[in-house]
Amino acid sequence: MKVLAAGVVPLLLVLHWKHGAGSPLPITPVNATCATRHPCHSNLMNQIRNQLAQLNGSANALFILYYTAQGEPFPNNLDKLCGPNVTDFPPFHANSTEKTRLVELYRIIAYLGASLGNITRDQKVLNPNALSLHSKLNATADIMRGLLSNVLCRLCSKYHVAHVDVAYGPDTSGKDVFQKKKLGCQLLGKYKQVIAVVAQAF
Amino acid sequence: MLTLKIWIVQALFIFFTTESVGELLDPCGYIKPESPIVQLGSNFTAVCVLKEKCMDYFHVNANYIFWKTNHVTIPKEQYTIINKTASSVTFTDISLLNIQLTCNIRTFGQIDQNVYGIRIISGLPPEKPTNLSCIVNEGKKMMCQWDPGRETYLETNFTLKSEWATEKFADCKTKRDTPTSCTVDYSPVYFVNIEVWVEAENALGKVTSDHINFDPVDKVKPSPPHNLSVSNSEELSSILKLTWINSSIQGFIGLKYNIQYRTRDASTWSQIPPEDTASTRYSFTVQDLKPFTEYVFRIRCMKEDGKGFWSDWSEEASGITYEDRPSKAPSFWYKIEPSHTHGYRSVQLIWKTLPPFEANGKILDYEVTLTRWKSRLQNYTVNDTKWTVNITNDRYIATLTARNLVGKSNAAVLTIPAYDFQATRPVTDLKAFPKDNMLWVEWTAPNESVNKYILEWCVLSDKAPCIQDWQQEDGTVHRTYLRGNLAESKCYLITVTPVYADGPGSTESIKAYLKQAPPSKGPTVRTKKVGKNEAVLEWDQLPVDVQNGFIRNYTIFYRTIIGNETAVNVDSSHTEYTLSSLTSDTLYMVRMAAYTDEGGKDGPEFTFTTPKFAQGEIEAIVVPVCLAFLLTTLLGVLFCFNKRDLIKKHIWPNVPDPSKSHIAQWSPHTPPRHNFNSKDQMYSDGNFTDVSVVEIEAANDKKPFPEDLKSLDLFKKEKISTEGHSSGIGGSSCMSSSRPSISSSDENESAQNTSGTVQYSTVVHSGYRHQVPSVQVFSRSESTQPLLDSEERPEDLQLVDNIDSSVGNLPRQQYFKQNCSQHETSPDISHFERSKQVSSVNEEDFVRLKQQISDISQPYGSGQMKMFQEISVADAFGPRTEGQVERFETVGMEAAIDEGMPKSYLPQTVRRGGYMPQ
Repeated sequence: MKVLAAGVVPLLLVLHWKHGAGSPLPITPVNATCATRHPCHSNLMNQIRNQLAQLNGSANALFILYYTAQGEPFPNNLDKLCGPNVTDFPPFHANSTEKTRLVELYRIIAYLGASLGNITRDQKVLNPNALSLHSKLNATADIMRGLLSNVLCRLCSKYHVAHVDVAYGPDTSGKDVFQKKKLGCQLLGKYKQVIAVVAQAF
Repeated sequence: MLTLKIWIVQALFIFFTTESVGELLDPCGYIKPESPIVQLGSNFTAVCVLKEKCMDYFHVNANYIFWKTNHVTIPKEQYTIINKTASSVTFTDISLLNIQLTCNIRTFGQIDQNVYGIRIISGLPPEKPTNLSCIVNEGKKMMCQWDPGRETYLETNFTLKSEWATEKFADCKTKRDTPTSCTVDYSPVYFVNIEVWVEAENALGKVTSDHINFDPVDKVKPSPPHNLSVSNSEELSSILKLTWINSSIQGFIGLKYNIQYRTRDASTWSQIPPEDTASTRYSFTVQDLKPFTEYVFRIRCMKEDGKGFWSDWSEEASGITYEDRPSKAPSFWYKIEPSHTHGYRSVQLIWKTLPPFEANGKILDYEVTLTRWKSRLQNYTVNDTKWTVNITNDRYIATLTARNLVGKSNAAVLTIPAYDFQATRPVTDLKAFPKDNMLWVEWTAPNESVNKYILEWCVLSDKAPCIQDWQQEDGTVHRTYLRGNLAESKCYLITVTPVYADGPGSTESIKAYLKQAPPSKGPTVRTKKVGKNEAVLEWDQLPVDVQNGFIRNYTIFYRTIIGNETAVNVDSSHTEYTLSSLTSDTLYMVRMAAYTDEGGKDGPEFTFTTPKFAQGEIEAIVVPVCLAFLLTTLLGVLFCFNKRDLIKKHIWPNVPDPSKSHIAQWSPHTPPRHNFNSKDQMYSDGNFTDVSVVEIEAANDKKPFPEDLKSLDLFKKEKISTEGHSSGIGGSSCMSSSRPSISSSDENESAQNTSGTVQYSTVVHSGYRHQVPSVQVFSRSESTQPLLDSEERPEDLQLVDNIDSSVGNLPRQQYFKQNCSQHETSPDISHFERSKQVSSVNEEDFVRLKQQISDISQPYGSGQMKMFQEISVADAFGPRTEGQVERFETVGMEAAIDEGMPKSYLPQTVRRGGYMPQ
């Protein structure tokens, strides 16, 4: 898996994530140099909460939109096909320190962002007419990009964390259509579940 | 081979041509800098460098360089000779935007040749953009705008730059047509601060605006709430509930709202207090609304904390509040109509429909009660707004209530007084005036308490009846406006009736206009009476339909054709006016204008002519003239009456009837009735009117000369023709003479012939005025005496002799004429004058005159006679001596003296010293 994260995901990020959202963020020593383009805003945590709320508010709609767009058998077999059975999903400890939570959040959002990129790519092929789904996927991905920026800014400005190692989900490019749809549905189901927890944690 | 030669020649030609052109195109020098862009107001230096080859060819150096800008030579003070080949020029404070600069040399001392030229472009560096602001329309991309600063005169590019703290976004390049705004390509991401700035850059520099850092969610303009709906409540007629769907942004930001509402027919909006809608919601209940009223709502939203922008207004939605019982009793009034049934009256009760804000619902019907004094109540349900009922002459009390779905209104009570009720206590100081396009009525309330006032009005018209409208006002009101569809330029008759508890008071009326206008027709003026110097004009009052306002005054315009127009103002109460100081016998044009407060209107023009004379002036002239004429005539008649004898003698003298004369009376024994003393006396008696003709039958066998006969014949004819006028009275007298008394030229000869012969004379009396003589009398003259006339008047004889001498011998046939009436021949000329005229006739005239006589046709009556008499006179007095003239005067005088004497027509031969017939 580590191999996968070290080789495939950066490539996916380069191809599908915009504006360098998938640049590697290794966990760096605390005293590593942390530089931003301009000073980070003082209200970062509030913005992060709002972003999490924004994601949490739209996660379920995205999930419904997704499986609806996939057609049968997905809408009637959500438990089987769309259960949050995602392996290697980054952990999150809601009761940890803010720094830890932020780091874990960063990994989760990086993971989700990469996965959303894969799903968006697949859906444009599998359901080219599901424009609403495409739009929603893009919007969610944009919010995650913003959230990553804020988290990184917060880690950098307050905790001087310049790099965080991240893990990415499985690559779906080699899967068949059903597997792509199924992996996407499982990921969105997981996302809906996790984001609610994370939003609650902040 | 030949082809090869031709090809070589062509190649050489092209080569040399190209070489020569290249030489020509190769400039003699160049200018540095090549394409300068200079800031306005700065200094600039250009250097022109000559090529050695050119300098040698033209034998010039840098001293020969001169500069031109836009074809104008630059003063040499601005030049600097750097070395043998280079010269520079310096400009200070460049102000032109575009300068053409050329380097020139003067070759061979006189030929100016351009070496090189450049174009200097001037401008300004960009100013720092200011007022940078961005807006994020929900669902759209972020757009930023700014103020670009001053005009640079150069092409300036503006670039909007944006970045997060961790990454940079792509630049936003402005479009040429919108250099002050730019919309980014990426979707906005909320809750991440973004830093934005603008770079402005041109050839003279680059400048950057201040950076702004913001969260895009604070610059958002949400989409307006949609699906706005309105619902009412049956429990509460004063509320309406609004519901709507918020935009999707509501999922992660709080919203606040503006809710506005108005009634359907209103134009202004009322707003729900903002504090009531300061948080996110999906519905709102609006309270304190009017029952059964349609309201229109709209809503907008923005971020709860007030950052960002208000959304656009939502689409309007409307709803009607639920019904409530009518809040007010209807306006209630009555009209008494004549009834044919004795002892009853026909009363029409009328009321107004309640306005919606008072009806509070749909009025289903009206309930009317009628109560005769101290009798039981009668109930009626009416759907209309009027109800006619026959009632007795007693006093009645009527009530009216309006009913809708919810309930009844309060009752309106009206007292219908008894038949013999005398209304009193009117309002006072009633006024009506237009204001703010409404017709206001104002009055002073009576001293007594008034329940309500009834205002009635109608349009006064000559063509249509006065159809009344009415309205009711509370008893406390003393000033209101008429709530009806009033028209401008119409005369309204307004009456105000106070209604007391015991019945209506007496009414007061007033006329008013909502808005006056000039009359639509002018008055038609006409003349009532036209005098020599004045004219009375009259006109009819304008019909009320064309007045369009209160006629304040009239203006009469009158003028002559050539004169200036005169205007006279006349009070509106008049219908006639007298124009004075007019010119007689002149055409006047008059027209009339009627004026209201808003202007006037001319009527048709009327034309009249003043007479030449005033009335009675002609009578004043004619009557005196007629009277004078009558008086003169009367005096003339009186005069004639007094002088009738004299007139009679001149005009119609008494002519004795010769048939009643008796020659025997001429007997010598018969004494003469008058004593004629002289021949003058005889002439006097006989006067010239007494013409006597004696035709003497001559026994002489001697034939007369033809001319004599002719003359004589003419004379005879004339004589005959005059017999009706002058009888032979003179003749009879002359005939009594011993010799015929002649007045012609034959007289002399006749006298001589008769001296020795017995003469018979025939008295020809053809009767006076057609009287037939009874008998023709022949008398024999026994006398051999010559005629006394001849004896006593030898002058006459001489005269005759003289005439005879010129005429020649006359035949024996004699005729005699005694011309005694000179007045008849020329009554206007006195004897003396006549004699003088005659005396002036010479012999030639006389002969000519005779000839004329012979030419004149004969039986012509008196005119002919007149001529003949003249001729006779001429014959008798032609070549006359002075003595003869004097004698004639005497005769005339004697005749005048003898006027008073009795007339005698006795034979005139009885004269002084005469003889008596034997």
